[in-house]
Amino acid sequence: MRAATTANIPLELLRYRELLFSLTWRNIRVRYKQSLLGISWAVLLPLSLMLVFTFVFTRAIDGVGALKVNMPYALYAYCGLVPWTFFAASLNGCVNSLVSNRNLVTKVYFPREVFPLSCVGSAFVDFCVAMTVLGGLMVYFHSAGQWSANLSATLLFLPVVLVVQITLTVGLGMMLAMANLFYRDVRQVFSVAIQLWMFVSAVVVPVPRDGSALATIIGFNPLVPIISAYRTCILEGTLPEAGGFLYATAVAVVSLIGGWFCFRKASHRFAECI
Amino acid sequence: MSEAALCFDHVSKRFRLGETHDSLVDLAAYAFRRVTGAAPRQSPDSTFWALRDVSFEVPRGGATGIIGPNGAGKSTALKLLAGILRAERGEVRASGRLAALIEVGAGFHADLTGRENIFLNGAILGMTRAEIRTKLDSIVEFAGLERFLDTPVKRYSSGMYARLGFSIAAHVDPDILLVDEVLSVGDAVFRLRCEERMRQLVRDGTTLIFVTHNLEQMQSICDRAIVLEEGRTAFDGPAREAVSHYMTAMTHAYTARPADLAGGDAQHDGAGEVLGVRILDRAGKETVWLRPRDEVRAEVRFKLVRPIEKLTVELNLRASASENLISINSGRDNVFFDTREGVNTVTLVLPAMPLASGRYFWNVRMWDGVSGDTVIETPFKYPTVIDDEGRATGALSLDHAWSYDGAAASQVVDTPAEPAPIEAAPAQCGSGT
Repeated sequence: MRAATTANIPLELLRYRELLFSLTWRNIRVRYKQSLLGISWAVLLPLSLMLVFTFVFTRAIDGVGALKVNMPYALYAYCGLVPWTFFAASLNGCVNSLVSNRNLVTKVYFPREVFPLSCVGSAFVDFCVAMTVLGGLMVYFHSAGQWSANLSATLLFLPVVLVVQITLTVGLGMMLAMANLFYRDVRQVFSVAIQLWMFVSAVVVPVPRDGSALATIIGFNPLVPIISAYRTCILEGTLPEAGGFLYATAVAVVSLIGGWFCFRKASHRFAECI
Repeated sequence: MSEAALCFDHVSKRFRLGETHDSLVDLAAYAFRRVTGAAPRQSPDSTFWALRDVSFEVPRGGATGIIGPNGAGKSTALKLLAGILRAERGEVRASGRLAALIEVGAGFHADLTGRENIFLNGAILGMTRAEIRTKLDSIVEFAGLERFLDTPVKRYSSGMYARLGFSIAAHVDPDILLVDEVLSVGDAVFRLRCEERMRQLVRDGTTLIFVTHNLEQMQSICDRAIVLEEGRTAFDGPAREAVSHYMTAMTHAYTARPADLAGGDAQHDGAGEVLGVRILDRAGKETVWLRPRDEVRAEVRFKLVRPIEKLTVELNLRASASENLISINSGRDNVFFDTREGVNTVTLVLPAMPLASGRYFWNVRMWDGVSGDTVIETPFKYPTVIDDEGRATGALSLDHAWSYDGAAASQVVDTPAEPAPIEAAPAQCGSGT
């Protein structure tokens, strides 16, 4: 139960998987404690966001035509918002995960990775709950005749998309958790950055592909291929575009290795620097 | 040394003092100063060595206490053993499943119920869910919280909180258990149960490391102790001797700053001053450290500017600032001293000081028996340390004996592992009280 050497980290984490489940469960339990609607908030949150964006883009300003979305906008938005919420909520939890567990960091030893991982874990549970509603929406729009569902074997590719997204999230989450422990500015910067990030990740508005400077910059955003992959696999029945998705995978792997390495390197100083 | 459960090999641990750039602006400013050469890499007084070159080994099984004054490095040592901190120099090794109880209920979540927190905290301490499930009843029973199991812990009293926290940790069944000063919470009955539980764990083969300020409790559980002083090992050996060492050291620290105690500076009308109070044992050797049954001589040396006839001398003893435990006045014994100018010596002989373990302080007062004027009054600054080997709690340590069915009961030596010879066993069978 002591700090492991680099070689047996995975072994050590395996030993602590029960703790990971317990902390994940605690996060979920605490989030919905003393709330009337409980876990339904996992659905209600992306659903109400979807309604807000649908209202904004179809009623307040007539932008759907300009958005060039080839499906009902509500479906487009929801299918982007659910994975996005998973990503953003994970990172939001990760940023504060070490700092808000100061008591555990300074008083108990276990692999510190458990803190950010449990945040990703609890956000994942919300994600799974919210995903089921996507099925309901598809049935609704299909039967209303506004859109025809095109389910195919590409659904089987979904776990791959999910793994890539989790890999990216865990890597970034570890870096953020660690950085915020040393410098509390990180969470302030993060809260602004994540807002901007949403609008350049094809979540509620498609990203520009017109060859402009902005489009080039957005092209480096690994979330665009990931979020788009959910739509193509679930709603359109096609595989994501290979180049973009491979790029996102590469970024995810680099972020995980880099993030974890830095996290490990710094973790023995957490207790005294927090 | 494969036999050792824990090993500290020339360990030093350094902490930074002060806030080290907590925001990016500070960091940028610091980086700029570094680049321009305005800031030294590390000023020597910005760091603090909490432990300096500490080495010890703890064999498998048995209980070891770590004692020492505040800031001696006890908690740092424990956190290094637990893997929470990492040493700058040296190596810390531990073999086996290790559980650290550094704060009771660390990791409890206020909004969760007692039951939920048992599972959470159990997992934090390294138990599996299945393990916790089988031990749940026992944990709840030990904590005495059957009725409150499904109440959020935020509604618990601090005692209930502490009982639950200790109860969970006591059920981890680790190979090595580190306990830091957590038994000061809870009522006396619960404390006794905790001590019993720790002894039980040690009997069952757990290696226990116990950090505490409660020397009596430490002695009742541990057979060996390490005294840390200012980050260094000051003593390592049998618990009883460690306590003596520590008490003597503490007393010296106390006498170095007598203003901490009641009284203020010595008052006198210029007629004289106390040069010193020496505590002597039966052999006439100066000591501050005594057993309750030892004969004590308090020798007062004082200087007078003129001779005083019928000088009355009073010695008072206190354990705290407020109340005298002993007040002996020569006048009440109809003893007066016809003193001379210059240095005089008065000695009070006590056949015993039947007090419980602790630090005590004397003061001296003198009157002119004719005029009634106060000649000298000192603060309570002359120390005596009593160690009754943990036999009595409360204020006094009286001679006593036990009998059973009218026959004197004999004393069992219950610590066969005790390496030190038990000298002069004080429980006087048959001497009666």
